[in-house]
Amino acid sequence: MFTRRSFARACLAVGGASASPSQSGGVRVIDAHTHLYHHSRASWSEDDRKLIEAADKLGIGQLCCSMLPPRRPATPESFHECNRWTAEVMRRFPERILGYCFVNPGYTREALAEIRRAVEQDGFIGIKLYNDYRADEPVVWPIVELAIELRVPILHHAGHTSWLPQPQPRISDAGHLAELARRYPEAMIICAHICGGGDWEWSIKALRNAPSVYLDTSGSVPDEGVIEMAVRVLGAARLLFATDLSMTASLGRLRGADLSEADRNKILGANMQQILNRRRGA
Amino acid sequence: MIDVNAYLGHFAFRQLRHSTAAALLRLMDRTGIQRAVVSSAASITYRNAQSGNEEVAAEVKPHRERLTPFAVLNPAYAGWQDDLKICHRDFGMKGLRLYPRWHNYRLTDTSCLELVNAATELRWPISIPLRVEDRRQQSWLVDVPDVDQEEMAALVKAAPKASFILLNGSGYVSSPLGRKGSGLPANYAVEISSLAAVLANELGQLLETLGPDRLVFGTGMPFHYPDPALLKLEVLEAAEEVKDKIRSRNAARLLGL
Repeated sequence: MFTRRSFARACLAVGGASASPSQSGGVRVIDAHTHLYHHSRASWSEDDRKLIEAADKLGIGQLCCSMLPPRRPATPESFHECNRWTAEVMRRFPERILGYCFVNPGYTREALAEIRRAVEQDGFIGIKLYNDYRADEPVVWPIVELAIELRVPILHHAGHTSWLPQPQPRISDAGHLAELARRYPEAMIICAHICGGGDWEWSIKALRNAPSVYLDTSGSVPDEGVIEMAVRVLGAARLLFATDLSMTASLGRLRGADLSEADRNKILGANMQQILNRRRGA
Repeated sequence: MIDVNAYLGHFAFRQLRHSTAAALLRLMDRTGIQRAVVSSAASITYRNAQSGNEEVAAEVKPHRERLTPFAVLNPAYAGWQDDLKICHRDFGMKGLRLYPRWHNYRLTDTSCLELVNAATELRWPISIPLRVEDRRQQSWLVDVPDVDQEEMAALVKAAPKASFILLNGSGYVSSPLGRKGSGLPANYAVEISSLAAVLANELGQLLETLGPDRLVFGTGMPFHYPDPALLKLEVLEAAEEVKDKIRSRNAARLLGL
Protein backbone atom coordinates (compact mmCIF):
# COMPACT_ATOMS: atom_id res chain seq x y z
CA MET A 1 0.00 0.00 0.00
CA PHE A 2 1.08 3.54 -0.63
CA THR A 3 1.77 6.40 1.76
CA ARG A 4 1.29 9.96 0.59
CA ARG A 5 4.97 10.30 -0.19
CA SER A 6 5.47 6.90 -1.75
CA PHE A 7 2.34 7.40 -3.85
CA ALA A 8 3.86 10.52 -5.35
CA ARG A 9 7.20 8.89 -5.96
CA ALA A 10 5.54 5.89 -7.58
CA CYS A 11 3.45 8.09 -9.84
CA LEU A 12 6.45 10.13 -10.90
CA ALA A 13 8.64 7.11 -11.34
CA VAL A 14 6.57 5.88 -14.26
CA GLY A 15 7.41 8.90 -16.43
CA GLY A 16 7.86 7.80 -20.00
CA ALA A 17 6.21 4.45 -19.42
CA SER A 18 3.49 5.11 -21.94
CA ALA A 19 3.35 1.50 -23.04
CA SER A 20 2.05 0.31 -19.69
CA PRO A 21 -0.77 2.14 -17.99
CA SER A 22 0.18 3.24 -14.51
CA GLN A 23 -0.69 1.56 -11.26
CA SER A 24 -0.82 2.93 -7.73
CA GLY A 25 -0.96 0.43 -4.90
CA GLY A 26 -2.17 -2.21 -7.32
CA VAL A 27 -4.82 0.14 -8.71
CA ARG A 28 -4.67 1.63 -12.16
CA VAL A 29 -4.95 5.42 -11.83
CA ILE A 30 -7.93 6.57 -13.89
CA ASP A 31 -8.74 10.20 -14.66
CA ALA A 32 -12.54 10.08 -14.67
CA HIS A 33 -13.03 13.51 -16.27
CA THR A 34 -10.87 15.22 -18.81
CA HIS A 35 -11.07 16.53 -22.35
CA LEU A 36 -9.68 16.24 -25.81
CA TYR A 37 -9.13 19.35 -27.88
CA HIS A 38 -11.61 20.42 -30.54
CA HIS A 39 -10.21 20.38 -34.04
CA SER A 40 -10.92 24.05 -34.55
CA ARG A 41 -7.81 24.54 -32.44
CA ALA A 42 -4.81 24.45 -34.76
CA SER A 43 -2.63 22.57 -32.31
CA TRP A 44 -5.19 19.88 -31.39
CA SER A 45 -3.11 16.89 -32.46
CA GLU A 46 -0.03 18.10 -30.63
CA ASP A 47 -2.15 19.00 -27.59
CA ASP A 48 -3.65 15.51 -27.47
CA ARG A 49 -0.15 14.08 -27.56
CA LYS A 50 0.89 16.41 -24.73
CA LEU A 51 -2.06 15.13 -22.71
CA ILE A 52 -0.74 11.59 -22.98
CA GLU A 53 2.78 12.79 -22.15
CA ALA A 54 1.52 14.58 -19.06
CA ALA A 55 -0.43 11.49 -17.99
CA ASP A 56 2.75 9.43 -18.39
CA LYS A 57 4.71 11.92 -16.33
CA LEU A 58 2.13 11.92 -13.54
CA GLY A 59 1.42 8.20 -13.54
CA ILE A 60 -2.15 8.41 -14.82
CA GLY A 61 -2.99 5.20 -16.64
CA GLN A 62 -6.28 5.99 -18.33
CA LEU A 63 -8.04 9.19 -19.28
CA CYS A 64 -11.82 9.33 -19.63
CA CYS A 65 -12.30 12.08 -22.20
CA SER A 66 -14.98 14.00 -23.96
CA MET A 67 -14.77 16.67 -26.61
CA LEU A 68 -17.15 19.63 -26.62
CA PRO A 69 -17.89 21.95 -29.51
CA PRO A 70 -16.88 25.55 -28.85
CA ARG A 71 -20.29 26.94 -29.89
CA ARG A 72 -23.41 26.58 -27.73
CA PRO A 73 -25.96 25.21 -27.91
CA ALA A 74 -24.47 22.08 -29.43
CA THR A 75 -26.21 20.81 -32.57
CA PRO A 76 -26.47 17.16 -33.67
CA GLU A 77 -23.85 17.88 -36.33
CA SER A 78 -21.45 19.45 -33.85
CA PHE A 79 -21.76 16.75 -31.19
CA HIS A 80 -21.54 13.96 -33.76
CA GLU A 81 -18.36 15.51 -35.14
CA CYS A 82 -16.85 15.75 -31.65
CA ASN A 83 -17.67 12.12 -30.89
CA ARG A 84 -16.24 10.98 -34.21
CA TRP A 85 -12.97 12.78 -33.40
CA THR A 86 -13.00 11.31 -29.90
CA ALA A 87 -13.34 7.82 -31.38
CA GLU A 88 -10.31 8.53 -33.59
CA VAL A 89 -8.21 9.44 -30.57
CA MET A 90 -9.43 6.31 -28.75
CA ARG A 91 -8.06 4.31 -31.66
CA ARG A 92 -4.84 6.37 -31.70
CA PHE A 93 -4.22 5.69 -27.99
CA PRO A 94 -5.97 2.41 -27.23
CA GLU A 95 -6.40 1.58 -23.54
CA ARG A 96 -5.20 5.10 -22.62
CA ILE A 97 -8.09 7.20 -23.90
CA LEU A 98 -11.63 6.17 -22.97
CA GLY A 99 -14.48 8.16 -24.48
CA TYR A 100 -17.56 9.85 -23.10
CA CYS A 101 -20.18 10.50 -25.77
CA PHE A 102 -21.19 14.15 -25.60
CA VAL A 103 -24.74 15.09 -26.63
CA ASN A 104 -27.24 17.92 -26.29
CA PRO A 105 -30.37 16.33 -24.74
CA GLY A 106 -32.55 18.88 -26.55
CA TYR A 107 -32.17 16.80 -29.72
CA THR A 108 -33.70 13.70 -28.23
CA ARG A 109 -33.83 11.43 -31.27
CA GLU A 110 -30.36 12.31 -32.53
CA ALA A 111 -28.84 12.21 -29.04
CA LEU A 112 -30.22 8.76 -28.26
CA ALA A 113 -29.05 7.37 -31.60
CA GLU A 114 -25.63 8.93 -31.10
CA ILE A 115 -25.22 7.44 -27.63
CA ARG A 116 -26.32 3.95 -28.67
CA ARG A 117 -23.97 3.95 -31.66
CA ALA A 118 -21.02 5.38 -29.67
CA VAL A 119 -21.36 2.89 -26.82
CA GLU A 120 -22.31 -0.24 -28.75
CA GLN A 121 -20.14 0.23 -31.84
CA ASP A 122 -17.26 2.51 -30.82
CA GLY A 123 -16.81 1.35 -27.24
CA PHE A 124 -17.48 4.65 -25.48
CA ILE A 125 -17.67 4.22 -21.71
CA GLY A 126 -20.21 6.88 -20.77
CA ILE A 127 -22.19 10.00 -21.57
CA LYS A 128 -21.16 13.59 -21.04
CA LEU A 129 -23.78 16.28 -20.49
CA TYR A 130 -22.89 19.95 -20.27
CA ASN A 131 -25.03 23.03 -19.63
CA ASP A 132 -27.43 22.85 -22.57
CA TYR A 133 -30.15 21.82 -20.10
CA ARG A 134 -30.34 21.52 -16.36
CA ALA A 135 -30.27 18.03 -14.90
CA ASP A 136 -33.75 18.38 -13.41
CA GLU A 137 -35.41 19.17 -16.77
CA PRO A 138 -37.56 16.35 -18.25
CA VAL A 139 -35.68 16.54 -21.55
CA VAL A 140 -32.79 14.79 -19.78
CA TRP A 141 -34.86 11.79 -18.70
CA PRO A 142 -34.64 9.73 -21.94
CA ILE A 143 -30.86 10.10 -21.85
CA VAL A 144 -30.75 8.78 -18.30
CA GLU A 145 -33.01 5.87 -19.18
CA LEU A 146 -30.72 4.89 -22.05
CA ALA A 147 -27.67 5.18 -19.78
CA ILE A 148 -29.33 2.78 -17.36
CA GLU A 149 -30.09 0.35 -20.18
CA LEU A 150 -26.50 0.49 -21.48
CA ARG A 151 -25.00 0.43 -17.97
CA VAL A 152 -22.86 3.50 -18.54
CA PRO A 153 -22.32 6.55 -16.31
CA ILE A 154 -23.39 10.10 -17.05
CA LEU A 155 -20.73 12.68 -16.28
CA HIS A 156 -22.66 15.90 -15.69
CA HIS A 157 -21.12 19.38 -15.70
CA ALA A 158 -22.00 21.13 -12.44
CA GLY A 159 -21.27 24.15 -10.31
CA HIS A 160 -22.79 26.22 -7.56
CA THR A 161 -22.13 29.90 -6.98
CA SER A 162 -23.82 32.12 -4.44
CA TRP A 163 -23.89 35.28 -6.43
CA LEU A 164 -25.58 36.45 -9.62
CA PRO A 165 -25.54 36.83 -12.54
CA GLN A 166 -24.82 33.23 -13.38
CA PRO A 167 -22.68 33.13 -16.54
CA GLN A 168 -24.12 29.71 -17.43
CA PRO A 169 -27.90 30.12 -16.98
CA ARG A 170 -28.65 26.40 -17.32
CA ILE A 171 -25.78 25.01 -15.34
CA SER A 172 -26.76 22.19 -12.99
CA ASP A 173 -25.62 22.07 -9.42
CA ALA A 174 -25.23 19.15 -7.05
CA GLY A 175 -28.79 19.69 -5.84
CA HIS A 176 -30.18 19.21 -9.35
CA LEU A 177 -28.13 16.05 -9.74
CA ALA A 178 -29.39 14.75 -6.40
CA GLU A 179 -32.94 15.39 -7.62
CA LEU A 180 -32.27 13.47 -10.84
CA ALA A 181 -30.78 10.61 -8.82
CA ARG A 182 -33.90 10.42 -6.65
CA ARG A 183 -35.94 9.92 -9.82
CA TYR A 184 -33.48 7.38 -11.23
CA PRO A 185 -31.65 5.76 -8.31
CA GLU A 186 -30.23 3.02 -10.54
CA ALA A 187 -28.43 5.55 -12.78
CA MET A 188 -24.70 6.13 -12.37
CA ILE A 189 -24.43 9.92 -12.24
CA ILE A 190 -21.10 11.68 -11.77
CA CYS A 191 -21.16 15.25 -10.48
CA ALA A 192 -18.30 17.03 -12.21
CA HIS A 193 -15.32 18.91 -10.81
CA ILE A 194 -15.85 19.60 -7.14
CA CYS A 195 -12.74 21.78 -7.30
CA GLY A 196 -13.85 23.79 -10.30
CA GLY A 197 -17.52 24.30 -9.59
CA GLY A 198 -17.81 27.08 -7.07
CA ASP A 199 -18.77 26.49 -3.43
CA TRP A 200 -17.52 22.96 -2.84
CA GLU A 201 -18.81 22.76 0.72
CA TRP A 202 -22.33 23.46 -0.56
CA SER A 203 -21.98 20.85 -3.29
CA ILE A 204 -20.74 18.12 -0.97
CA LYS A 205 -23.55 18.76 1.48
CA ALA A 206 -26.13 18.77 -1.31
CA LEU A 207 -25.05 15.26 -2.33
CA ARG A 208 -25.08 13.77 1.15
CA ASN A 209 -28.50 12.15 0.75
CA ALA A 210 -28.11 11.10 -2.89
CA PRO A 211 -26.08 7.90 -2.42
CA SER A 212 -26.05 6.91 -6.10
CA VAL A 213 -24.29 10.12 -7.21
CA TYR A 214 -20.52 10.02 -7.54
CA LEU A 215 -18.38 13.12 -7.24
CA ASP A 216 -15.31 13.80 -9.33
CA THR A 217 -12.37 15.51 -7.63
CA SER A 218 -11.13 17.58 -10.57
CA GLY A 219 -10.54 21.28 -10.96
CA SER A 220 -7.96 23.99 -10.57
CA VAL A 221 -8.90 25.09 -7.03
CA PRO A 222 -6.30 23.63 -4.62
CA ASP A 223 -8.27 24.29 -1.40
CA GLU A 224 -7.04 22.27 1.54
CA GLY A 225 -9.62 20.03 3.17
CA VAL A 226 -11.96 19.42 0.25
CA ILE A 227 -11.10 15.74 -0.16
CA GLU A 228 -11.27 15.05 3.56
CA MET A 229 -14.72 16.68 3.80
CA ALA A 230 -15.97 14.74 0.78
CA VAL A 231 -14.80 11.47 2.31
CA ARG A 232 -16.33 12.35 5.66
CA VAL A 233 -19.72 13.34 4.23
CA LEU A 234 -20.07 11.08 1.19
CA GLY A 235 -17.63 8.24 1.80
CA ALA A 236 -14.59 7.34 -0.31
CA ALA A 237 -16.61 4.89 -2.41
CA ARG A 238 -18.40 7.83 -4.08
CA LEU A 239 -15.32 9.80 -5.11
CA LEU A 240 -13.56 9.56 -8.45
CA PHE A 241 -10.13 11.02 -9.15
CA ALA A 242 -10.24 13.37 -12.12
CA THR A 243 -8.35 16.36 -13.48
CA ASP A 244 -10.48 18.24 -16.04
CA LEU A 245 -7.07 19.22 -17.47
CA SER A 246 -5.90 20.72 -14.14
CA MET A 247 -3.49 17.87 -13.78
CA THR A 248 -0.96 18.83 -11.11
CA ALA A 249 -3.56 20.56 -8.92
CA SER A 250 -5.82 17.52 -9.08
CA LEU A 251 -3.19 14.88 -8.49
CA GLY A 252 -1.51 17.04 -5.85
CA ARG A 253 -4.66 17.32 -3.77
CA LEU A 254 -5.07 13.53 -3.75
CA ARG A 255 -1.44 13.23 -2.77
CA GLY A 256 -1.85 15.73 0.06
CA ALA A 257 -5.19 14.60 1.43
CA ASP A 258 -5.15 12.89 4.80
CA LEU A 259 -6.65 9.54 3.78
CA SER A 260 -6.19 5.87 4.48
CA GLU A 261 -4.39 4.16 1.63
CA ALA A 262 -7.42 1.98 0.99
CA ASP A 263 -9.54 5.10 0.49
CA ARG A 264 -6.89 6.75 -1.67
CA ASN A 265 -6.75 3.72 -3.95
CA LYS A 266 -10.53 3.64 -4.25
CA ILE A 267 -10.57 7.27 -5.33
CA LEU A 268 -7.58 7.02 -7.65
CA GLY A 269 -9.00 4.24 -9.74
CA ALA A 270 -10.82 1.37 -8.06
CA ASN A 271 -14.17 3.16 -7.92
CA MET A 272 -14.03 4.16 -11.58
CA GLN A 273 -12.92 0.68 -12.53
CA GLN A 274 -16.05 -0.69 -10.85
CA ILE A 275 -18.16 1.67 -12.93
CA LEU A 276 -16.40 0.56 -16.11
CA ASN A 277 -16.88 -3.09 -15.16
CA ARG A 278 -20.64 -2.70 -15.07
CA ARG A 279 -20.74 -2.02 -18.81
CA ARG A 280 -18.22 -4.74 -19.51
CA GLY A 281 -20.32 -7.17 -17.50
CA ALA A 282 -23.43 -6.16 -19.42
CA MET B 1 12.82 24.69 0.85
CA ILE B 2 11.25 28.11 1.47
CA ASP B 3 7.53 28.76 1.03
CA VAL B 4 6.89 32.45 0.33
CA ASN B 5 3.10 32.04 0.42
CA ALA B 6 1.71 30.84 3.76
CA TYR B 7 -0.78 32.14 6.31
CA LEU B 8 -1.81 31.94 9.96
CA GLY B 9 -5.14 32.60 11.64
CA HIS B 10 -8.77 32.33 10.66
CA PHE B 11 -10.29 33.31 7.34
CA ALA B 12 -13.73 34.87 7.40
CA PHE B 13 -15.42 32.65 4.83
CA ARG B 14 -14.03 29.17 5.31
CA GLN B 15 -12.50 27.05 8.01
CA LEU B 16 -8.74 26.63 7.59
CA ARG B 17 -7.76 23.38 9.28
CA HIS B 18 -4.09 24.20 9.82
CA SER B 19 -4.35 27.81 10.94
CA THR B 20 -2.05 27.74 13.99
CA ALA B 21 1.73 27.83 13.98
CA ALA B 22 1.88 24.33 15.41
CA ALA B 23 -0.41 22.91 12.72
CA LEU B 24 1.37 24.76 9.93
CA LEU B 25 4.72 23.47 11.15
CA ARG B 26 3.37 19.91 11.05
CA LEU B 27 2.36 20.43 7.42
CA MET B 28 5.79 21.87 6.69
CA ASP B 29 7.48 18.89 8.32
CA ARG B 30 5.40 16.46 6.28
CA THR B 31 6.32 18.18 3.04
CA GLY B 32 9.95 19.03 3.72
CA ILE B 33 9.49 22.80 3.85
CA GLN B 34 12.00 24.37 6.20
CA ARG B 35 10.79 27.96 6.29
CA ALA B 36 7.60 29.79 5.41
CA VAL B 37 6.66 33.42 5.04
CA VAL B 38 3.40 33.90 6.93
CA SER B 39 0.87 36.68 7.26
CA SER B 40 -2.54 37.02 8.86
CA ALA B 41 -5.45 35.41 7.03
CA ALA B 42 -7.81 37.32 9.30
CA SER B 43 -6.35 40.66 8.20
CA ILE B 44 -7.77 40.07 4.75
CA THR B 45 -11.22 40.91 6.11
CA TYR B 46 -10.54 42.73 9.38
CA ARG B 47 -11.28 46.40 8.98
CA ASN B 48 -8.23 47.11 11.14
CA ALA B 49 -5.61 44.82 9.61
CA GLN B 50 -3.15 45.58 12.40
CA SER B 51 -5.11 43.34 14.81
CA GLY B 52 -4.20 40.38 12.60
CA ASN B 53 -0.55 41.43 12.57
CA GLU B 54 -0.60 41.42 16.38
CA GLU B 55 -2.02 37.90 16.36
CA VAL B 56 0.62 36.66 13.92
CA ALA B 57 3.45 38.35 15.85
CA ALA B 58 2.43 36.48 19.00
CA GLU B 59 1.93 33.19 17.17
CA VAL B 60 5.34 33.14 15.45
CA LYS B 61 7.37 34.33 18.43
CA PRO B 62 8.56 30.84 19.49
CA HIS B 63 9.14 29.77 15.87
CA ARG B 64 11.07 32.60 14.26
CA GLU B 65 13.71 30.28 12.86
CA ARG B 66 11.03 28.72 10.62
CA LEU B 67 8.20 31.26 10.31
CA THR B 68 8.98 34.67 8.83
CA PRO B 69 6.14 37.13 9.45
CA PHE B 70 4.97 39.67 6.88
CA ALA B 71 2.70 42.58 7.80
CA VAL B 72 -0.69 43.06 6.17
CA LEU B 73 -1.27 46.79 5.91
CA ASN B 74 -4.02 48.78 4.29
CA PRO B 75 -2.82 52.14 2.95
CA ALA B 76 -6.41 53.36 2.76
CA TYR B 77 -6.91 52.91 6.51
CA ALA B 78 -6.01 55.33 9.26
CA GLY B 79 -2.69 54.92 11.00
CA TRP B 80 -0.87 52.62 8.60
CA GLN B 81 2.33 54.60 9.10
CA ASP B 82 2.23 53.85 12.84
CA ASP B 83 1.34 50.21 12.19
CA LEU B 84 4.27 49.87 9.79
CA LYS B 85 6.65 51.15 12.47
CA ILE B 86 5.25 48.76 15.07
CA CYS B 87 5.40 45.78 12.69
CA HIS B 88 9.01 46.58 11.85
CA ARG B 89 10.40 47.76 15.18
CA ASP B 90 8.35 45.79 17.72
CA PHE B 91 7.26 42.69 15.85
CA GLY B 92 10.40 42.24 13.73
CA MET B 93 8.36 41.58 10.62
CA LYS B 94 10.29 41.18 7.40
CA GLY B 95 7.99 42.20 4.60
CA LEU B 96 4.62 43.47 3.48
CA ARG B 97 1.53 41.79 2.08
CA LEU B 98 -1.10 43.81 0.23
CA TYR B 99 -4.76 43.10 -0.62
CA PRO B 100 -5.85 45.98 -2.87
CA ARG B 101 -9.19 44.43 -3.90
CA TRP B 102 -10.21 43.19 -0.46
CA HIS B 103 -9.14 46.49 1.13
CA ASN B 104 -10.68 48.59 -1.63
CA TYR B 105 -7.84 50.63 -3.09
CA ARG B 106 -5.81 50.55 -6.27
CA LEU B 107 -2.15 49.68 -6.43
CA THR B 108 -1.42 52.93 -8.20
CA ASP B 109 -3.17 55.12 -5.60
CA THR B 110 -0.89 57.69 -4.03
CA SER B 111 -1.33 56.20 -0.56
CA CYS B 112 -0.34 52.75 -1.83
CA LEU B 113 2.77 54.14 -3.49
CA GLU B 114 3.65 55.85 -0.21
CA LEU B 115 3.34 52.54 1.63
CA VAL B 116 5.38 50.71 -1.02
CA ASN B 117 8.09 53.36 -0.80
CA ALA B 118 8.11 53.20 2.99
CA ALA B 119 8.44 49.39 2.89
CA THR B 120 11.24 49.71 0.35
CA GLU B 121 13.08 52.09 2.68
CA LEU B 122 12.99 49.28 5.23
CA ARG B 123 14.27 46.86 2.56
CA TRP B 124 11.07 44.89 2.88
CA PRO B 125 9.87 42.75 -0.02
CA ILE B 126 6.24 43.39 -0.91
CA SER B 127 4.12 40.36 -1.67
CA ILE B 128 0.77 40.67 -3.38
CA PRO B 129 -1.67 37.75 -3.71
CA LEU B 130 -3.46 38.29 -7.00
CA ARG B 131 -6.25 36.04 -5.70
CA VAL B 132 -7.44 34.85 -2.30
CA GLU B 133 -10.31 32.62 -3.37
CA ASP B 134 -11.58 31.47 -6.73
CA ARG B 135 -14.29 34.02 -7.51
CA ARG B 136 -16.86 31.32 -8.30
CA GLN B 137 -16.86 30.13 -4.71
CA GLN B 138 -17.02 33.46 -2.95
CA SER B 139 -19.66 34.17 -0.32
CA TRP B 140 -22.86 36.00 -1.22
CA LEU B 141 -21.49 38.85 0.92
CA VAL B 142 -18.56 39.68 -1.33
CA ASP B 143 -17.61 39.90 -4.98
CA VAL B 144 -13.87 40.45 -5.05
CA PRO B 145 -12.11 40.17 -8.41
CA ASP B 146 -8.52 39.13 -8.89
CA VAL B 147 -5.89 41.86 -8.94
CA ASP B 148 -5.57 43.11 -12.48
CA GLN B 149 -2.19 42.29 -13.97
CA GLU B 150 -2.01 45.54 -15.93
CA GLU B 151 -2.43 47.39 -12.63
CA MET B 152 0.23 45.19 -11.08
CA ALA B 153 2.53 46.01 -13.99
CA ALA B 154 1.89 49.73 -13.48
CA LEU B 155 2.98 49.42 -9.85
CA VAL B 156 6.23 47.57 -10.57
CA LYS B 157 7.00 50.28 -13.11
CA ALA B 158 6.13 53.09 -10.71
CA ALA B 159 8.31 51.67 -7.92
CA PRO B 160 11.46 50.37 -9.65
CA LYS B 161 13.47 50.19 -6.43
CA ALA B 162 10.89 48.03 -4.66
CA SER B 163 11.04 44.25 -4.60
CA PHE B 164 7.74 42.50 -5.32
CA ILE B 165 6.65 38.88 -4.99
CA LEU B 166 3.45 38.04 -6.87
CA LEU B 167 1.41 35.22 -5.30
CA ASN B 168 -1.46 32.98 -6.42
CA GLY B 169 -1.37 34.24 -9.98
CA SER B 170 -1.55 32.70 -13.43
CA GLY B 171 -1.93 33.96 -16.96
CA TYR B 172 1.21 36.08 -16.71
CA VAL B 173 2.29 35.01 -20.18
CA SER B 174 -0.65 36.98 -21.57
CA SER B 175 0.27 40.16 -19.68
CA PRO B 176 3.32 42.43 -19.68
CA LEU B 177 4.42 40.77 -16.43
CA GLY B 178 5.27 37.53 -18.21
CA ARG B 179 6.38 38.84 -21.59
CA LYS B 180 9.95 39.26 -22.65
CA GLY B 181 10.80 42.80 -23.64
CA SER B 182 7.82 44.40 -21.96
CA GLY B 183 10.00 47.20 -20.63
CA LEU B 184 9.18 46.44 -17.01
CA PRO B 185 11.94 46.53 -14.40
CA ALA B 186 13.13 43.14 -13.14
CA ASN B 187 11.96 43.99 -9.63
CA TYR B 188 9.36 41.27 -9.24
CA ALA B 189 9.37 37.53 -8.72
CA VAL B 190 6.53 35.13 -9.47
CA GLU B 191 5.41 32.44 -7.04
CA ILE B 192 4.59 29.14 -8.73
CA SER B 193 1.60 27.60 -6.90
CA SER B 194 -1.04 28.59 -9.47
CA LEU B 195 1.03 28.04 -12.60
CA ALA B 196 0.46 25.08 -14.91
CA ALA B 197 3.48 22.79 -15.04
CA VAL B 198 2.21 20.42 -17.75
CA LEU B 199 0.08 20.97 -20.88
CA ALA B 200 0.17 24.81 -21.21
CA ASN B 201 3.22 24.71 -18.90
CA GLU B 202 3.21 28.38 -17.93
CA LEU B 203 5.89 27.59 -15.39
CA GLY B 204 8.24 26.46 -18.15
CA GLN B 205 7.30 29.46 -20.27
CA LEU B 206 8.08 31.91 -17.46
CA LEU B 207 11.37 30.21 -16.91
CA GLU B 208 12.17 31.22 -20.50
CA THR B 209 10.83 34.78 -20.35
CA LEU B 210 11.74 35.85 -16.81
CA GLY B 211 14.69 33.58 -16.18
CA PRO B 212 15.48 31.21 -13.31
CA ASP B 213 16.19 33.94 -10.76
CA ARG B 214 12.64 35.30 -10.72
CA LEU B 215 10.53 32.27 -9.86
CA VAL B 216 9.94 31.31 -6.23
CA PHE B 217 8.33 28.37 -4.51
CA GLY B 218 5.09 28.88 -2.59
CA THR B 219 2.08 26.82 -1.63
CA GLY B 220 -0.71 29.01 -0.30
CA MET B 221 -1.09 26.76 2.75
CA PRO B 222 -3.22 26.42 4.79
CA PHE B 223 -5.71 27.78 2.24
CA HIS B 224 -4.27 25.23 -0.17
CA TYR B 225 -2.81 21.78 -0.03
CA PRO B 226 0.97 22.25 -0.30
CA ASP B 227 1.32 19.20 -2.52
CA PRO B 228 0.22 20.64 -5.89
CA ALA B 229 3.02 23.20 -5.74
CA LEU B 230 5.51 20.50 -4.78
CA LEU B 231 4.33 18.37 -7.66
CA LYS B 232 4.70 21.24 -10.12
CA LEU B 233 8.30 21.67 -9.11
CA GLU B 234 8.95 17.95 -9.35
CA VAL B 235 7.61 17.61 -12.90
CA LEU B 236 9.19 20.84 -14.15
CA GLU B 237 11.70 20.01 -16.83
CA ALA B 238 14.67 22.03 -15.65
CA ALA B 239 18.19 21.49 -14.35
CA GLU B 240 18.53 20.70 -10.66
CA GLU B 241 20.40 23.97 -10.21
CA VAL B 242 17.41 25.88 -11.56
CA LYS B 243 15.05 23.97 -9.30
CA ASP B 244 17.26 24.80 -6.33
CA LYS B 245 16.90 28.47 -7.13
CA ILE B 246 13.12 28.12 -7.23
CA ARG B 247 12.98 25.94 -4.12
CA SER B 248 14.92 28.29 -1.86
CA ARG B 249 17.80 30.32 -3.20
CA ASN B 250 15.76 33.01 -4.89
CA ALA B 251 13.53 33.41 -1.85
CA ALA B 252 16.51 33.52 0.49
CA ARG B 253 17.95 36.36 -1.58
CA LEU B 254 14.66 38.28 -1.57
CA LEU B 255 14.22 37.79 2.17
CA GLY B 256 17.82 38.69 2.97
CA LEU B 257 18.47 35.34 4.65
